[in-house]
Amino acid sequence: MKHVIAYAEHRQGQTRKITFELASEARRIADALGGKAGIVVLGPGAAQLAEQLKAYPLDVIYVNEDGEVDEFLLDPVVDYLEAAAKTLGPALMLIPNTLSGRDVAGKLMVRLGAGIVADVVDLKVEGDAVVCVSPKLGGAIVTHCALRPNDYGVVTVRPNAFAAASGGPGAQTAPLEKPKRAYAATIERDVEEGAGELALEEAPVVVAGGRGLGGPEPFDALLKPLARALGGAVGASRAAADAGWVPYNLQIGQTGKTVTPSLYIAVGISGAIQHKVGMRSSGTIVAINKDGAAPIAEFSDLLVVGDAFRIVPELTKMIETAKGQVS
Amino acid sequence: MDHVKIVVTVKLVPDPNAEKKIDPQTKRLVRGGVETVLNPYDEYALEAGLQLKERGGGEARVTVFSMGPETLKETLRRALAMGADDALVLSDSALEGSDVWATAYAMAQALRKLEFDLLIVGGLTDDSSTGAVPGALAEHLGLPCITNARKIEISDGKLEVERETDAGYQIVRGPLPSLITTALTFGEPRYASLKGIMGAKKKTIATIGLADLSLEMPVGTSGSKTELEGFAPPPARGKGTIVEAADGPAGATAIFDFLRQKKFV
Repeated sequence: MKHVIAYAEHRQGQTRKITFELASEARRIADALGGKAGIVVLGPGAAQLAEQLKAYPLDVIYVNEDGEVDEFLLDPVVDYLEAAAKTLGPALMLIPNTLSGRDVAGKLMVRLGAGIVADVVDLKVEGDAVVCVSPKLGGAIVTHCALRPNDYGVVTVRPNAFAAASGGPGAQTAPLEKPKRAYAATIERDVEEGAGELALEEAPVVVAGGRGLGGPEPFDALLKPLARALGGAVGASRAAADAGWVPYNLQIGQTGKTVTPSLYIAVGISGAIQHKVGMRSSGTIVAINKDGAAPIAEFSDLLVVGDAFRIVPELTKMIETAKGQVS
Repeated sequence: MDHVKIVVTVKLVPDPNAEKKIDPQTKRLVRGGVETVLNPYDEYALEAGLQLKERGGGEARVTVFSMGPETLKETLRRALAMGADDALVLSDSALEGSDVWATAYAMAQALRKLEFDLLIVGGLTDDSSTGAVPGALAEHLGLPCITNARKIEISDGKLEVERETDAGYQIVRGPLPSLITTALTFGEPRYASLKGIMGAKKKTIATIGLADLSLEMPVGTSGSKTELEGFAPPPARGKGTIVEAADGPAGATAIFDFLRQKKFV
């Protein structure tokens, strides 16, 4: 491994913060390895995103606006990434740890004969090995795992783990040749739901609700205004998702999403292990619960014992007033 | 879609509902008192397989495949009790220490021994959460990889899958055979019935070892491309402040002051 190549996931040129985090981290690791930092941008909208990426300290931006990337599932992306890896030479591949990122990473590992470390939150170059720091067992342990010296390595990177720092010199774009392959799995329809809402995994503040809210209405009436006031997103415990109060894509925990916001506010959530493993790495944890002996007391920085239905609207008002005065 | 042959891969993991602790002396996971169970994501994969089997009628079959120590056979009975027809275990002491690369390669070589129309895999494993195994298996076996399915239809030898994405959902069409992983919205895994539990005792759990496979690359520790250098507990999080709020404004003020002190407001 000498160079570093990141994969820029996007929809029609619209991307998330993780792409810029990967671009910055690619530069840092490439410098430590003495190689080049590149990024791969594919499919409709790629050129537009590539322009944006010129503000980041990369050496090369590989672009192909091939429409097949949005027509066939997964394989065109893997082909292009393999092509970029073969063009630039032995490299560490940085893939976002997202739903499709994980699929890409698994296939790419086999293509490149590479080792893989998943859900990485820190990277270090030690001699000719790259050491990856990654939480396992739902955050119960933090592992240090080395990619043994090899031509290629793959890591999936957890969102919010690295800083996104722009700064030149801006890279040139380079075309990637279209792979000569036929694909079997076609995307017939691609439907966006809840567009425009902040992605839970990337939100700096998460306001989550649980069984204590008693139904779906308080998620809209109580939690959304508080999340909006703090510039955050709404999440939920498994109990709330299982009860059908919110869609499953808002579920945080063992069988849901893992979030690491700087501020986590848990409303009416008891804090069972199922939930705890999805949010315990948050910066600051505040809980509102009727029961002062709930398990969440053990890992909250502040637990307010009281009636969430009375506390949350007051709190939202106070924050809105305070923010109004500042701006 | 009769005669459809389905293989579901399952893994055994430490009980996800148990709190895992690291022994500060040995730096190893404290195993005592923690039960081994089917990886929760794999139960959804099995549920998907069983639903397809039911729709397929009498000729459809579900085979469970797992890799691990021979002791896992007893836990696999649970999968058979839920309704799977038989099970195959790849077990070999030389597999110990395999990383994701070596694991996926060994699994793929064993799966080549089975004939199937559909390979269903759990989306993640609860203990390691790598999420790379489905893609790696698909690549080794030359199959399309359709992940996070919440609905699967088979007709005229073709597959239509509704899959959840980060942004919403997609309808994907693919051929048979394909590899599919299931979303948790697929449907709650069933409980084994008493009849199922009794019937499972008569079902076959076959075991194969590495000698039964045609391996071209090493597996186990020597075949791994990564090396665990060590692990540690996460930074400790102390118990914080508990405030009893007499009313709404008092509770709101307590939180507001705290957020202001932490510079969130």
